[in-house]
Amino acid sequence: MTDRRDHLNILAPRETKPKLDQLHRDIVRAVGHPLSRRSALGIGGLALLSACGSTSTGTGATGSSSATADALSGKPLGDHLEIYNWSQYDDPSTYKKFMALPDVAKAGLKINETYYSSNDELLAKLNAGGTTYDIIAPSQNAVAQLIETDKLLEMDDALIPNKKNLDPKFLKASYDPTGKFHVIKDYGVTMFFYNHTIVTEKPQTMLDFYNLLNKYVSKGRTNLLDGAEEVVPIALMANGMDANTDSQDDFNQVSDFLMSIRKGVTTITSSSYIDDAIAGKIILGQGWNGDVRRIVQGRKKQGDITAVLCQEKSEIWSDNWCIPKTAPDPVAAHAWINWLLTPSTAVTEMEYHNYPIPIPSALSQLPTDLSSDPLFNVPAKYTDDYQYILNVSPQVVQDRTKIYTQFKAG
Amino acid sequence: MAVDLEQPKETVASGERRHRSFSPRYPGWLTSPSLFYYAIFFLGPLAILVAFSLATQTGFDSISYGFDTSQFHLVTDPLYLKIFYRTLVMAATGSLLTILVGYPIAYWMARYLTTYKLLALLLILVPFWTSFLIRTYALKIILDPNGYLAKNLGIDIMFTKYAVGVGLVYNYLPLFIIPVFASLERMDWSLVEAATDLGAKPFNAFRQITLRLTMPGVVTGALLVFIPMSGEYIIPNILSGGNYEFVGNVIGDQFSSAQNQPFGSAMSISLMIALSGFVALYILFATKEERFGA
Repeated sequence: MTDRRDHLNILAPRETKPKLDQLHRDIVRAVGHPLSRRSALGIGGLALLSACGSTSTGTGATGSSSATADALSGKPLGDHLEIYNWSQYDDPSTYKKFMALPDVAKAGLKINETYYSSNDELLAKLNAGGTTYDIIAPSQNAVAQLIETDKLLEMDDALIPNKKNLDPKFLKASYDPTGKFHVIKDYGVTMFFYNHTIVTEKPQTMLDFYNLLNKYVSKGRTNLLDGAEEVVPIALMANGMDANTDSQDDFNQVSDFLMSIRKGVTTITSSSYIDDAIAGKIILGQGWNGDVRRIVQGRKKQGDITAVLCQEKSEIWSDNWCIPKTAPDPVAAHAWINWLLTPSTAVTEMEYHNYPIPIPSALSQLPTDLSSDPLFNVPAKYTDDYQYILNVSPQVVQDRTKIYTQFKAG
Repeated sequence: MAVDLEQPKETVASGERRHRSFSPRYPGWLTSPSLFYYAIFFLGPLAILVAFSLATQTGFDSISYGFDTSQFHLVTDPLYLKIFYRTLVMAATGSLLTILVGYPIAYWMARYLTTYKLLALLLILVPFWTSFLIRTYALKIILDPNGYLAKNLGIDIMFTKYAVGVGLVYNYLPLFIIPVFASLERMDWSLVEAATDLGAKPFNAFRQITLRLTMPGVVTGALLVFIPMSGEYIIPNILSGGNYEFVGNVIGDQFSSAQNQPFGSAMSISLMIALSGFVALYILFATKEERFGA
């Protein structure tokens, strides 16, 4: 920020700006010669306080938590929207078209976006406080945790009329039972793939996948998705247990299971497996459906990869639009979410990031090779049994981490 | 920070006792800028770490400060002790290999190069100017299971502890070569000539003269690589494929995915204490060398 000497930054409600400007003019007139803003307001400090007094008590009264939703409707858009998002997760045209919407253009709204690479990073930033994000895109476990720690704004559905376009199944979720704190951005599942020229069995479930690891590890590289929140709950589900269990018996059981397949695992990584698999280096590996779809396409010439959506239980995950309680411009944030729920926007978005947005009227507009591909538009018969993995409690998260550390240490 | 703060007091104490040193007396407060810097950017964070490690986690995003030593008891779990042990053994092995690879290079540069000495030094240093992360990724390409080494020479070590070892030696080599090169440069080679004139075999001359005189450089270099190797995070992360992680990675997991700052802090402090032991040994050894050596 440029620090001009005649420039004074004041943190005050937007409505008080005319009053402050008036105050500046009054003081300049009283002194008789032009003053810089900073010295004028320095002199007028007392007057300034009295001028703002009425407004701030006004907002204080309506600012109680129960009134957040009602307080927003009818308020004007601001001129700045601060987005904190995963990188390259939205089509560039989505931003341009949003700023060109009549209301938004009239407000002169500009978007600034910064990026994070993991939910942990997002949580750490929000927990540290002092952020000015209007929009964030946490995954399901982070949403639940942010709700629990009272960091999210309850949304005002009156400002998101396009919410009606969403598949009703996705309005509420186990990570936000009231459905008031999130709007789903997109979702996917965890599955696995194998090189069928090497692996001759036909694994159907995640447990089948695990059971083949020890046999085939000598034939090529095998890979598991990394992270305590992936490795442990997915193995729990494969063994018919609750992904979000807090039972010590379950943890002991899954720990034994994981150690029994440890020798069958070459690598535990989520970061480079797509490229490595496309290069033909992975013969048996877990993956997220969008990534596996890219792997299958990348190996089209060789045609040696079979992708398997798991029968029985596996993970379903989602990324979600949320508004932090501290958002400076919640009205603009609602407008953004509403814009992303427009079917035409959703079509553009899905063609860009290749993950489904549960808006039926948008899905039907997609080219059939995309919309009918089960690796993109995962059929509901699979996802019905799938579970969202949540950060149940600090204790559960720590138990998972310990099992994961032990698993990695071998 | 070997600042002698007691000097000003002594000037007042006794006029009779004369200091042998003729160095000018500067008032102690002149050190205040560096002390201030040290306090804010070293002692401050350290204090926060200690406070974290003694706190109790009460929920996501909330800890209550106190004097809870239970996290330190958890560190002694066999699982974590195993990882501590593995880390220190790896760092020690890495340092030893660095000595074996680095010393001959430094020796050759100091003894046999004349015109190209600076150029050689530059060639050692140039890779060091590249980002650590990028150098490690470059190594990943070289060690790739489908790469030349694996396919043609049968050296397929990617995602094993051997890959981590190669990464350690490669990345920290310059840090070792420089101090050893400096001590070899300072050496008086006529001593070696005198030894051989008096009948010492070349190897004995090397062992009894060159090696002894350059020992402080070797110890400094070894410590300079051992300490950061023990705290290594990037190399095991990239080259071990999750198979051979160090204490640093476990600490990272505690802060990020487990969101358990107290335990992560307790582990950091335990690592620091362990390493301090080695530094203490070094200081003991190094001062002894300086007394009797060069």
